[in-house]
Amino acid sequence: MATREELSEFLAGVQRRAFKQAVFAVRDESHALDIVQDAMMKIAENYGDRPAAELPLLFTRILQNSIHDFFRRSKVRSAWVTLFSALGSDDDPDADPLETLEARGDGRAESSEAAFEREQIVAAIEEEVAKLPARQREAFLLRYWEDFDTAETAAAMGCSEGSVKTHCSRATSALAKALKERGISL
Amino acid sequence: MNQDEFGFRIRQALNEGAERLDYRTMLRLEQARGAALARQRHAGPATVRVPALQLAGAGSPAVDEGTGAWHWLRGAGWIAPLLALAVGFVAISQWQHQLEIERLAALDFAVLLDDGPLDAYADQGFGVLLQAERQLDH
Repeated sequence: MATREELSEFLAGVQRRAFKQAVFAVRDESHALDIVQDAMMKIAENYGDRPAAELPLLFTRILQNSIHDFFRRSKVRSAWVTLFSALGSDDDPDADPLETLEARGDGRAESSEAAFEREQIVAAIEEEVAKLPARQREAFLLRYWEDFDTAETAAAMGCSEGSVKTHCSRATSALAKALKERGISL
Repeated sequence: MNQDEFGFRIRQALNEGAERLDYRTMLRLEQARGAALARQRHAGPATVRVPALQLAGAGSPAVDEGTGAWHWLRGAGWIAPLLALAVGFVAISQWQHQLEIERLAALDFAVLLDDGPLDAYADQGFGVLLQAERQLDH
């Protein structure tokens, strides 16, 4: 059984990535925070007595389900949020919420040109990741960001390992192509 | 660059982005984590079961059904009447047996002293009784 300290440590370790994943999916910071909070509540209330080793997979499934529930509850929300983000930005109709997020960090950003360029690259990568189809993004992030193996990713997504490989391959190709078109080389 | 290497590079970039969350977002995440931990399943102290109409402050040892002498006495409450009944049966049985011995002794004493009534020797039941006692002596 996971102790309070183990659960706290686990949540502290995943909360940033969980938030980012939710932002990639719903493209709204406030909703993403609600989703992460909902997922944290669910894992604590329903699975707080499970062994600590089971928490990563459980939390991933809960988070993905929370994201899916969000879309189920409000099918038009994504379009509405995109419109709201466009209106809320300065004059750029193609602006992305992630760019807004990054802009908030400008006040404490490093002043060097290299650091600024790196920030731009990171923002561009996040933007392109957010543009991936949902299942491809989910598979890619679980596989390469959460460091799940293929079987764990398949279990978390409720699909076959073959589907995971296909999603990851397509996501990689799409990302590489998009970044190359933007002149970004990794 | 193969797929795994590409994934690793993307991962580094995503980690950098995740590290740059603003303080308000981090505050909300920390609050969410604290709220979740407060509701962790089986995370709190052991639950104390109190009867529905029991006042919470009345938790004296007398109502603590799980500890020490009181627990033993609660069990003894069921056993004591049974023990008393058994002791009563044994006592009555012993008393009846003692009365029977005394009655036979008085009879034997009367026979030995030839104090018995003459009618007793003519009574068939008295003869059977003497015969039975003789068999018991052997």
